[in-house]
This record gives sequence, C-alpha cells and structure tokens, in this order.
Amino acid sequence: MRVLDLSSGGSLGGSLDNVLAHGIGGSKDLPIPLGLTIAGAVAALTVSFTVLAVAWRTPRYDADTSGRPAPPWLTRVVESRPWFVLWRVVGMLAFAYTVMVAIGGEDSLLNPLFGIFYVLLWVAFVPISLLFGPAYKAISPVRTINWAFARLTGGDPDRGVFTYPKRLGAWPAAVGLYMFVWMELVYPFATELGPVRLWLAVYVAVMLLGGALFGSTFYEHADPFEVYSTLVARMSAWGRRRRLEGGDDELVIRSPLANLDATPVVPGLVAVACVLFGSTAFDSFKDSTRWVKFIQGNDVQDHGLTTLVNNAGLLVFVLGVALVFTVGTMLTGVGPDQPRRELPNQFAHSIVPIVIGYVLAHYLTYLLEVGQQTIVYLSDPFSTGHSNWFGTANWQVSYFFSFHPTALATIKVLFVVTGHVVGVIAAHDRAIRLLPKRHQLTGQLPLLAAMICFTAGGLYLLFAA
Amino acid sequence: MIRRALAALTLVACTAGLTACGDDDSSGDGSGDSKELPTKTINVTVSGDSVTPNGDRVDVKVDQPIELVVKADAEGEIHVHSDPEKELEYGAGTTTLPPFTIDKPGIVEVESHALEKTIVQLEVK
Repeated sequence: MRVLDLSSGGSLGGSLDNVLAHGIGGSKDLPIPLGLTIAGAVAALTVSFTVLAVAWRTPRYDADTSGRPAPPWLTRVVESRPWFVLWRVVGMLAFAYTVMVAIGGEDSLLNPLFGIFYVLLWVAFVPISLLFGPAYKAISPVRTINWAFARLTGGDPDRGVFTYPKRLGAWPAAVGLYMFVWMELVYPFATELGPVRLWLAVYVAVMLLGGALFGSTFYEHADPFEVYSTLVARMSAWGRRRRLEGGDDELVIRSPLANLDATPVVPGLVAVACVLFGSTAFDSFKDSTRWVKFIQGNDVQDHGLTTLVNNAGLLVFVLGVALVFTVGTMLTGVGPDQPRRELPNQFAHSIVPIVIGYVLAHYLTYLLEVGQQTIVYLSDPFSTGHSNWFGTANWQVSYFFSFHPTALATIKVLFVVTGHVVGVIAAHDRAIRLLPKRHQLTGQLPLLAAMICFTAGGLYLLFAA
Repeated sequence: MIRRALAALTLVACTAGLTACGDDDSSGDGSGDSKELPTKTINVTVSGDSVTPNGDRVDVKVDQPIELVVKADAEGEIHVHSDPEKELEYGAGTTTLPPFTIDKPGIVEVESHALEKTIVQLEVK
C-alpha cells in the first residue's frame, strides 16, 4: 500500500523521471488514538469470553439446511444466460483495457494500470465480494479465455488433460497471493510499468496453462484473485446449497456465519488466510518509525541489505501468523480417531472474518482515495492530459475520511472488532461440532488466545504504525 | 433465551464503549483552528549517504507552516509526499527552503530523493 501514491503524478505535469524514481509516497492515515485501541481490544476480549460462556452448545450451522431459497425472480436472473454473458463481457472489456494500458500506456504513475493492479484488483474485490458474492469468478477473464479455447478445440472447459490433484488444494493460490504481496510490499520497483506488466503476463500464462491441464477447477484452487474473492464471498449473504430433491445447487440467502461455515475445507486454506493477514500486518508495520529507522540505519542500508531484510520481514509476519494459528488450533484434546494435524484447516474459515475486518480497516482510505484517483486516470489511458474516455478525467478526489480522522479511526476499530466477534462465533460452532464433549470448552481456549493475539496485534499496528 | 440476551447486552455495551470513546477524542480535533500557527523548523543534515534525522516522527498541525533548513555537502532534492506531492531543491551548503503547509491530516513522508531515505514522517493533526 505504501508504494503507491497515484496522486503524486498528477501534480507534476508529466515530469516522468521524478514520478518514476520512487514509488513511495502519499499521505497515509494517522494512527488510531490510544483510547480507541484499548476500547477495541477490551471489547474483543469481553466478547470472546462471553461467546464462550453463553453461546449455544449444539452446532447450529449446517451447509445442507441453513438459509432460505432466494426469491424465484432473482434466481431466474442470476442463473440466466444473458446475466452470465454480461459479466463475462464486462470482464473481457476490463481485461482488454488492462492489456491496452499495460502495453501502450506511459511508464508513469499516471498510467491507470497501477491503480487497476494494486487497488481495483487487490482491494476493491474485497467489499464487492462481501456484498455480491464471488465476483471475480463471475468476471474472471482467464476463465473466459479458457472457455473460448475449449470451445474452439471442441473440448469441455471444465475438464483438462489431468484431474486436479486434491491434496494441492488452495496451495497454488497461497503461492500466487504471496507473489502479489511480495510485488506490492518488497519488490523495489513495484511502481514501474515493466515489472507489473511482467507479473500480469506470468499470471495470465500460468492460469491458461493450468486451465488447459486441469480444466476450470484449477481456477477455484489456484487463481489467487478468484480464491481471495470467493473466500471473502463466504462472508456474504449469498450461498449455494444442494437441493433436497437433487439436481443442481440452488441460490440461497443465509446469515454470513452460516455461509462461512459452509467453506470447503481444502489443504492450503490456512496458508491463504495467513498470507493475507500476515502481509497486511507487515504493510502496517513497515511504516512504523522503528522499522523505518532500522531499515535505513547503518546495519541494513549501508550493507545493501534493504531488500533482503524486507523479504525476511514479510516472510516472518506470514509464518508468525501461521504458527500462532496452528498452535492455537492444535492445542486441544481430541477424540481417539481425530488427527490433530487436520485441525488448523478445519478451523481456517474462522480467521477469514478477522482477516477481512483487518484488511478493510487497513485499506479503507487507500481504496476510497487512490480508488477515486484511479477512476480519474482511467479516462486518460495514455496519459496525454486531454483524453476523457469515460467523462471522469476532471473528477476531484474527495478526501472525506482523511479530514475526519476520528470517524475514520472509529470505523477502523469497528471493522476489526466485528471481524473478531464473527471469527470467535465461527470457531465456537466448529469446535462444538468437531471436538469431543469434554474438550469442547477448554479446547477453544488456545484458539481464542490466538484470535485475541491477531485482533490486539492488528489494533496495535493501527495505533503504533 | 438468557444466553441470547446476555450476548446482545455485551455487544451493545461494547459498541457503546467504542462510540463513547470516539466521542471523547473528537473534542480534541476542534482546537486546531487557531490562526497564526508558529512555523515548525526542521533541521536536516545530508552528508554522503547519510541523513539526519533518520525517519523520525514530527508532530505538526494542519496548515502549520513547515520550514526545512538543509545543510548538505552536495545539491539535491527533497520530496514531500503529500497530496499533491511537493518537490524542493536545495544546493550545497545551508539552504532554507520556502515554508509549506499541509492541509489534510495524515502521515506525510519527507524523503531524500537521491538517497531514497525517509528523513521525517510528519504526523499532521
């Protein structure tokens, strides 16, 4: 997040060298006030133990029965051919535009490609998926191209040469997500056109190859953007459920908690969540005075170790989150036939809300402010200064939240605490379903402690960085 | 039923706690309106590859004039990463750069262009 300040380019009137030489910039959020930080942490603690003490004792969420069918007209619309085609076309138009600016655009921050990559693709799909369900899947251009290839060669887009190996699960997506955050937070030339273009080209190539080899199941497990978006959509009100009378799945509306509980347990789910959470925390941490002074100090920069230390920092954050979560889920009594090793993945869905709450808090102003700036730049794809393709070129960016830091800080803390509450409830329900009766309460304690660590850690970073 | 009520009560109490706290803080924000804020002077020394201060936080107010006094062994450029960005050039020797203000609360980095180091982070309130 720190690397991108699109607005800096606008004021320079095209002095490209200056825009290029650094990517760092832009005014960032003020730290949240101490009082609010403590209030948030105390709220998280209280809620955690209240849930443990008073919540239900028999599992509540069942993927096969929870929710009620969506209104028939809605189901008709979203399952209709035109609706499907509409979003495929939208996705392909966006893809064509992205290719156009990636190849023909200026190598400067005025190029909308940077905003498309770091803001729209990475951040905007979080709230969109939260509201509307698996949005990236609906528009995914790589799925569309794979479908077109299959059609041309007379094959079935859902089937590839091989069957996707089940034990790989979401691991490829975790790797892809890590490659993205590495590009965003560690790679020193993240705001130059060449590297972003290369990243995207490799992404498209790997996705098309994967689709050809394994069919479209590959995207469900390996496309980092689709996996992220679909995982966030598990917290939306939109779900699909097997029809009791058989046949296709049907569209249901259900509580986000019930929807979340239906998240398929696949290998690598913990890794996906940990990459998302750890990287966001590192993004926050690396702006803290202590880290800046350390990385610019004699020990690091003078020895040319900056990139190495940044790499290590990101990795340590992601692995640290993974370690805390793994220990938190495994430190429980288990039944005789229950492999302890499977517990982290079986509880992985419960940190998704914590991740989303923290990501939303962390990226809120970035999404709104740099997002608006991106919409302005979209109208001038080649940065000529006088194009206005979509009529947005003269829009002014509103910095409402920056001017209301107290409101902003309160919203951020509410996001974090809400995510925590939902996460704790999700973990509770899973614990009483999975764990043997006598371990149900005590078994939850280590996980609860891990979650409090995440929430308090997230709040601390919002306060101190 | 009782469990449910208790849970709801906790939620309400927590939310109330959060919002109450938010209100307390907002009372402090209004005091920054006073005119004629004193100029904040920040002394910067650049020699070779090192720069002081080295990434410190400096508290300033919205619209407070900020003046950088740069003592350097070679000419160079300082970038202020506000929205929009400011670029200030200095020569060898001691240069007092024209004062600037920042109109929006936030953290603003002041960076040495050539060294790619953060000199200070302005905490604008």
